[in-house]
Amino acid sequence: MTTAETERGTFGLALLLTFGLVALAFAIAVATAIGDYSIGLGTVFLAVTNGLGLTGAEISPIEQSVVWNLRLSRALVAALAGAGLSICGAILQALLRNALAEPFVLGVSAGASTGAVSVIVLGVGAGGLSLSLGAFAGAFSAFALVALLSNGATSGPNHTILAGVAASQLFNALTSYIVTTSGNAQQARDVMFWLLGSFGGVRWPDFQLLLVVVVVSLAICIWMARALDAFTFGDEDAAALGIPVARIRLVMFAVTAVLTATIVSMVGAIGFVGLVVPHAARYVIGPLHLRLLPACAVVGAVFMVSADIASRVIVAQQTVPIGVVTALVGVPFFAIILYRARPQP
Amino acid sequence: MWNKSLLVMGTVAATFACTALKAEPTTYPLAIENCGQTVSFDRAPQNAVALGQNSAEILLLLGLEDRMAATAFWPNKVLPELEEANSKVEVLTVEFPTLEAVLSKQPDFVAAMLVTLLGPDSKVAKREDFEALGIPAYLSPSACSTAKNTTDAYGSRDDLWTMDLLYKEIDDLSRIFDVADRGAALIADFKAREAALRAQFASNDDLTFLFWFSSPSPADDAYLGGGNGPSGYIADVLGGSNAVKTDAEWPTLGWEGIMAADPKVIVVAQVDRNRWDLDKAENKIAFLTSDPTVSQMEAVRAGRIVVMSGASMNPSIHTLHGAEQVGEQLKALDLLQ
Repeated sequence: MTTAETERGTFGLALLLTFGLVALAFAIAVATAIGDYSIGLGTVFLAVTNGLGLTGAEISPIEQSVVWNLRLSRALVAALAGAGLSICGAILQALLRNALAEPFVLGVSAGASTGAVSVIVLGVGAGGLSLSLGAFAGAFSAFALVALLSNGATSGPNHTILAGVAASQLFNALTSYIVTTSGNAQQARDVMFWLLGSFGGVRWPDFQLLLVVVVVSLAICIWMARALDAFTFGDEDAAALGIPVARIRLVMFAVTAVLTATIVSMVGAIGFVGLVVPHAARYVIGPLHLRLLPACAVVGAVFMVSADIASRVIVAQQTVPIGVVTALVGVPFFAIILYRARPQP
Repeated sequence: MWNKSLLVMGTVAATFACTALKAEPTTYPLAIENCGQTVSFDRAPQNAVALGQNSAEILLLLGLEDRMAATAFWPNKVLPELEEANSKVEVLTVEFPTLEAVLSKQPDFVAAMLVTLLGPDSKVAKREDFEALGIPAYLSPSACSTAKNTTDAYGSRDDLWTMDLLYKEIDDLSRIFDVADRGAALIADFKAREAALRAQFASNDDLTFLFWFSSPSPADDAYLGGGNGPSGYIADVLGGSNAVKTDAEWPTLGWEGIMAADPKVIVVAQVDRNRWDLDKAENKIAFLTSDPTVSQMEAVRAGRIVVMSGASMNPSIHTLHGAEQVGEQLKALDLLQ
């Protein structure tokens, strides 16, 4: 790669990040300002400054709570979840050298369902374990199984994908078995509803936890960005370049597993973002991970916050499942990129 | 005719209850134990939001429509006798509402039917959301009995479902709204109606029921009402038992298994949604009577098919209505001596 190209890429990234962060700030502002409860813009602004401790304006406690505790925390969690899922997608696409790889390819969402069902239907943990913790444990056991099946993730990418498919099937079957044989239909329905992706249940503590996980994961991934680039050429070439292939692969899988499991256990399985955003970002910014990963994070965040806004306004008083919106909004957008990226005759 | 006598009995019982069980007026602050938490009330709610059909219908049965700001989550049609009262209350959505929409009604009390509507893992609302704003929240005792720990105070679903939890909910809500006498009258009315049914239908070991909720298609396994759920309760009130003995609340069973269970009476549910063809009772009957194999079941050949509202198969105030509906049609059959 020539110096000129590198410079152009860096300039492109700077442009994308600046533009992306402005768009993100705007999207979060919109998400905070609109909702079923109509609150004047001035009140929204005061509620935010009150929440930040900058002002002490007298506004209705319900309105203060709606803006600060519901809307703002939700928008920020959506941004982090979008960023996290997109990073995971980019990493897995590189590690597995497969354009179809996405955050749930390692069976994480299937494992999360089994964990959640075990807690709520079977009473695992005797009520002391929350649904989120159960889902996290399930997601992580799925990952552990995949790692085991693919020999500590040291065998080739196809092996890992197959192990992921097997783990997904196994955990889906376990979930179905528990649900169909459980004595209580209501519990089963509760779990299914819970598993549909939604930002409805998130509050400030979720944001704090997710912020730490996303920032640490992104830092580790950027630290290993050059090794990720090498993986694109295949394990042997990467090894020839002096990259400790097996170790890096395992660390990267573990990071994506923790990140995906945290997001799934918080907001459910939200598809499409992790698959599409990395492709879109790669199209704009190129394949080098040092630039691709921050670009993915910003684009994913903007996309998810926008999708969440749409999911809240499409139908008044109720929410459309976020996964439906990510696909409905995302597919046309992705179609344009695919069309423009088609090989020239 | 029978219905009318029942109505008279019910009214008499209710009147009796009103005078005999004249309940104490509520003194505030009132503390209510609800699903392991203490909820306190400084005064009777004036602007309540009911999350879930059963919670809404209980409040309407207590005559509280003027003190309700809104309702949400209605899987079924409202009970016919509550239609008028219900038309005075805004319905936010028949689906899961957003917490913002609930809060925009400025509620001073929220009553919820399911843990998915109010609970620590709910995507709609958590108790703390309301507590932080000084809004007391109440979750149906039936919902907490299905929560994680089945060995809690509300008993296990290994036993036959009863109306007891519903009575507790009615009692709690009537005290919260300072209409305890109406609550006592309502409970007495339900008890009288249940007793009237039990008196008319003596225990009969041969009387087995199949409760067919719906099927995606005739070829698919049928969704049935399970042994210990409300369906089992309806069978029990009418002196019989559920032909399906499984513990699962909504078992699915193929027609071979149903024929092997050989129910005396087939109860087909009229499900008020439009998801599958077989949601409609008439389509169920058409299948039962036309399928070459299924139509050979003794219950079908003898014409022992009765229709019941599908809502009755959910644990709710609709359940007793379902029992009455089936009981009435049962009298026209050749089963009773």
